[in-house]
Amino acid sequence: MKTRMIMTAGFAGLALGGCIQVKAPDKPIEINLNVKVQQEVVVKLQRDAQDLIQNNPELFPQ
Amino acid sequence: MTRKMTKPALMIAAAIALAGGLGMSVAASAQSAGLSAALSSGAVGEQADGYMGVAGSVSDTVRKEVESINIKRRQVYTDLAGKRGVTVQDAAAATACQTLSRLKAGQAYRIGAGAWQTKGAAAIALPSYCASAG
Repeated sequence: MKTRMIMTAGFAGLALGGCIQVKAPDKPIEINLNVKVQQEVVVKLQRDAQDLIQNNPELFPQ
Repeated sequence: MTRKMTKPALMIAAAIALAGGLGMSVAASAQSAGLSAALSSGAVGEQADGYMGVAGSVSDTVRKEVESINIKRRQVYTDLAGKRGVTVQDAAAATACQTLSRLKAGQAYRIGAGAWQTKGAAAIALPSYCASAG
């Protein structure tokens, strides 16, 4: 799907200008969403964690 | 008639509640007494998994306190995880970002399966997922 779109854009470029070259990247584009999701989960939980510590001081001695 | 009965009953209940509250506060301070020494000396420390760990040599009493705290921590992590629809590990790890960042110099901590470290004057390198945590 993605490759097709890039190819179409490439052909369109060739047809229009003739001198525009669109090179497809050698390596597939990888977007690692797992890291982001994990990070978002932890960030959202930070406030809960602060409350947790404040509400249970006996479980979090310093 | 009923009202007359209620007042003393309320007073008794209040007295029990007060005694209970006092008892609990005494128990809480007794619990942290031996532990706070172990914490400041670095014999007991915080781990990135959200639990406490024994880093040095401690008495059986302190060891049991740590175990008991960890069991209770697991309970509150489980509650939070259920509330937010995340895993218990995520809830625990998020809390660890807080416990690790508030450590004082001289206290012990451990990230992942690494060795125990002692916090110096500088801030410690938190796990990457804590990076943007407020």
